[in-house]
Amino acid sequence: MAKSNNDFFIDFEKLSRNRTILLVGRNWAFIFLISMLILFSFLGKYFFSLRNFNNIILGVSSLLLLASGETFVIISGGIDLSIGFVMGFVCISSSIIMRDLNAAGYSPIISIIAGSFGGLLLGLIPGIINGYLVAKLRVPPFIATLGMWGIANGLAWRLCEGFPIGFLPLQVRDIGNAYLAYFSPKKGFSFLIKPELTERGDILSLVKIIPIPILLITFILVIFAFILSRTKFGQHTYIIGGNVDAAIRAGINVPLNIIKIYMISSFFASVAGILLVFKLNMGVHTQYTSSYELFAIAAVIIGGASLTGGKGTIWGTIIGVLLIGTLNNGLMMMGLPIFYRFIATGCILIIAILIDQFFPELVHSE
Amino acid sequence: MKKLIIGMLLICLVLSFVSVACAAKLKIAFMPGIADPFYFTMEKGAKAKAEELGVELIVGEYPKAWGPEYQVPILKALVARGDIDLLFTAPTSTEALIPVLKEISDSGIPIITVDTYLGDGDYTKPSNYNFPLAFIGTDNFLGGQVVAGQLALMLGGKGKVFLENTNPDVSSVMGRELGFRAGIKMFPDMELVGVEYCLDVQETAAAQVNAALLKNPDLGAVFGVNVFSAQGAYQAITSAGLEGAVKVATWDATETLIEALKRGEVDLILAQMPAEMGALCVEWGVKYLTEGAEIPKKVIPGFFVFTQENVNDPEAQKYIYK
Repeated sequence: MAKSNNDFFIDFEKLSRNRTILLVGRNWAFIFLISMLILFSFLGKYFFSLRNFNNIILGVSSLLLLASGETFVIISGGIDLSIGFVMGFVCISSSIIMRDLNAAGYSPIISIIAGSFGGLLLGLIPGIINGYLVAKLRVPPFIATLGMWGIANGLAWRLCEGFPIGFLPLQVRDIGNAYLAYFSPKKGFSFLIKPELTERGDILSLVKIIPIPILLITFILVIFAFILSRTKFGQHTYIIGGNVDAAIRAGINVPLNIIKIYMISSFFASVAGILLVFKLNMGVHTQYTSSYELFAIAAVIIGGASLTGGKGTIWGTIIGVLLIGTLNNGLMMMGLPIFYRFIATGCILIIAILIDQFFPELVHSE
Repeated sequence: MKKLIIGMLLICLVLSFVSVACAAKLKIAFMPGIADPFYFTMEKGAKAKAEELGVELIVGEYPKAWGPEYQVPILKALVARGDIDLLFTAPTSTEALIPVLKEISDSGIPIITVDTYLGDGDYTKPSNYNFPLAFIGTDNFLGGQVVAGQLALMLGGKGKVFLENTNPDVSSVMGRELGFRAGIKMFPDMELVGVEYCLDVQETAAAQVNAALLKNPDLGAVFGVNVFSAQGAYQAITSAGLEGAVKVATWDATETLIEALKRGEVDLILAQMPAEMGALCVEWGVKYLTEGAEIPKKVIPGFFVFTQENVNDPEAQKYIYK
């Protein structure tokens, strides 16, 4: 059999027929994640603890949402660069609604609900615009979403003028920091209600089980993973990404699907924005230095998607996000300076792309 | 016909007086460092003083991120107007802005640096960065020492502290870090257990402080050097349920931080005086342009320390950044 041009000194084709290599290659991200968890438990004190795992999960909660929305877009062969700033825009808008309604005399719960739903609805608009630009006006996704990136940022800035939005109802923080269950050696097991503790030792030994925001995120992810893998809409998303001409010939309404896909992406960005309000107890605009969209795309690719479209799963994205988060946290618990963490994430991404390039048969099942 | 001509002559006369008056009005330009509450408040102070003195304040576009690559293009566009009499700016790099500002200074526009400085900030000795008229800003090193001292007071002279910094290449916050380190060294029973950089992203700051809390269960205090690092710090501490137990010291008195101080989530705020800085720039600038006054090479307006005890005092309110 003639060697392909890709071969350097390694016969990739022969390798790809090896069963073990195939298994490792397909699940490399997952295996890497488990290895890191084991490694960091030895290298960093306190790494292997419920509190730290809570910290990791909470730290990546925004990224989980953003990357899941991005998964749909990347599978369809597009890209969405606006998610970071849409998140910031929704964060600012919903917190302004909450603050102003509360100040006008409405009850905190009404203000919070109105703010959340208001923000969510506002956040769908960028998705509609992005989808329309890409689907009907044939603007390349990179450019279309880059435009929205700027617009969302400008709007957020105009609304908050650089200042964070405070003076929100106190319940906001309580919800954002709530857990499903608590266990305290002193007060025992408690469901949803945080036990009153005053001693520092007691506070530190309080075991907090499953943050409420994470429950919500899991719920949303399960629904959308189902949509992606088991519904016609999900199938169509893959087909559009794999071969858009085949999709058109098969009678799929490609423009409408594309609009829906970008709406899903900005929906996830909106949920992330609202969640941020609950986490921070204030509205903040997204900083230029945060690069949320870059890490979201990185997570999706690490999780097994291809930038050309047609491949990828929500589960893979979750692994990708956890990988980035664990890497960051583990290195931080070890005491490594922040610059090395950026380098590490970059290296992982390159490895992911290389595996995608040279082992296409490994990563993507036939 | 005669009436018409006289009428038009009068109008021309009035118009020329007005335009001469406008042209005679001094134009002071302000090029901020970045879009954030500190600089917005500085602009407000400068504007108020400019109105009081009857000069025009022209404000450059606020850069979206910190750095010469963002600031220099805007700065050049601002100066290209051609009618600026004086420029005050916060250089976003101690080195990279030297040639750019030197060129502007050589073209006849005097420069004042505010909040950050060129080189090492000493414009009295011979160097390639001694052309600015003055540096008007906070002594960040001193401020860092003050925070260290105040935290030592709160903790009774002993305990572990953590520093949540933002950008390692910004002179102001690095000055605060150095001052803080020096201040903590003066208390032998206090220990600085770690320093992290969040690059102005609040969530990163929260994650870093969370990790610090985990690694040091007996942590006594955290100092967040700017708005975002401070907000991230107290967010982490309150979600761990440790507000009050772990003291939080912050820098810059935005309304949200003051609110947090009142709620007991933050224990100390060091307020700079950005409005005062802006006003001083305008005032000294006008003095220099109109009277040729000798202005001091370094003007330090000082700071105000907010604690839970004095946060509601009426005299303290004017130091809040609004």
